[in-house]
Amino acid sequence: MPDLWQIASVLAKFLLYFGVLGSVGLVLVRAVFGRETDPMDAPLRRRAAAFAVLALLAGALGFVLQAAMLAGEASGIADPEMLGLLWKTPAGTRLIPLGAGLALVLAGLWGGGLNIWIAVAGGLLTLWSFSRVGHVADAGAVWLDAFLLLHLAMGAFWIGILSPLRALAAAGGSLAEAAALGRRFGRIATIAVPLLIAAGIVMAWRLLGDLSMLLATGYGIALLAKVTGVGVLLAAAAANKLRFVPAMERGDARAAAGLRRSIALEWVAVCAILLVTAGLTGLAAPPG
Amino acid sequence: MKRTLIAGLLVVFASAGAVAHSRLGTTTPADGSVLAEMPAEIVLTFSKRLRLTRVRMSRHGGKAIDLEAAKVFDTRFAIPVKGGGKGQYRVEWRGLAADGHAMRGGFSFRVE
Repeated sequence: MPDLWQIASVLAKFLLYFGVLGSVGLVLVRAVFGRETDPMDAPLRRRAAAFAVLALLAGALGFVLQAAMLAGEASGIADPEMLGLLWKTPAGTRLIPLGAGLALVLAGLWGGGLNIWIAVAGGLLTLWSFSRVGHVADAGAVWLDAFLLLHLAMGAFWIGILSPLRALAAAGGSLAEAAALGRRFGRIATIAVPLLIAAGIVMAWRLLGDLSMLLATGYGIALLAKVTGVGVLLAAAAANKLRFVPAMERGDARAAAGLRRSIALEWVAVCAILLVTAGLTGLAAPPG
Repeated sequence: MKRTLIAGLLVVFASAGAVAHSRLGTTTPADGSVLAEMPAEIVLTFSKRLRLTRVRMSRHGGKAIDLEAAKVFDTRFAIPVKGGGKGQYRVEWRGLAADGHAMRGGFSFRVE
């Protein structure tokens, strides 16, 4: 059974994932869909900055909670021995690119115009920091780092579209503009999702090896729970692309309400997926 | 749609594989073993290098005591044990794997 510190660490990790992917996703969407998201520039920047601050706080919190877990008591949070020990391992060294990346994101969001590209660079650095710890770091293969970066960037991009799309589809928003953004995202997703999948397949092959253990271990069962969340996410995305967006293009206002509900469901699925992932990386050990 | 769902499953496999923990290999005494007398030391071996940060041993119904483990990253730790009589014992350990993962575990044995 996980103890209090492990559970707290998992929650901090979830907040870190949520903050990083939310922030970087919005930055990527703002950079790619500059014209479509121009009317929402200020609120999107504020939201992306809030996500980045959340990620910074969650990263720091997760670090000290790990120190408490090492000590087995709250005093570990301020124990120089535990903190120093952690700092020398990838759990500590990865905080440097993570913090630097998020600082760049915030700096880029501060100004207007081309500064968004500073935020994009910071976002990519932030995502890259995830390859500094865990299996990918252990494998020591640069190409695997690249696949993880691609995988995370595509996932962040997907998460990043949710807020602006929902805002445009909201009451008082423009049906045509929402449909246009949905259509453009759908077009890019036909390339981005296969990339996400291809990166996933390659990493699965490299990191797990034997998928048969999925049904035989707690780790596998947790993975299947995550699969369920992904299934919901894909189903909602398919409904958006094939049903709601085309209906909105035809001027059907009810479809906008459907799209908003579908996006709300996607948020729930995203949270569930990130929570299970935090549990998988923090509590369960993979088979083999 | 079907193709997309299958692809989604594979995405999950990949994103979840980001853990590379060291594992507890063997312990001496072995988990669940019954001994005639208290061993002079307990030994923990791990699959990968790890630094033990806390090891506690408790006798059923008694108070837990901290044991002193070497403060180095290693795969094998022999930890001296003093005293102790008959009873059911539980050893709980915490440690940091070289890959940065905080870990914990435990095992039990009985002295009769």
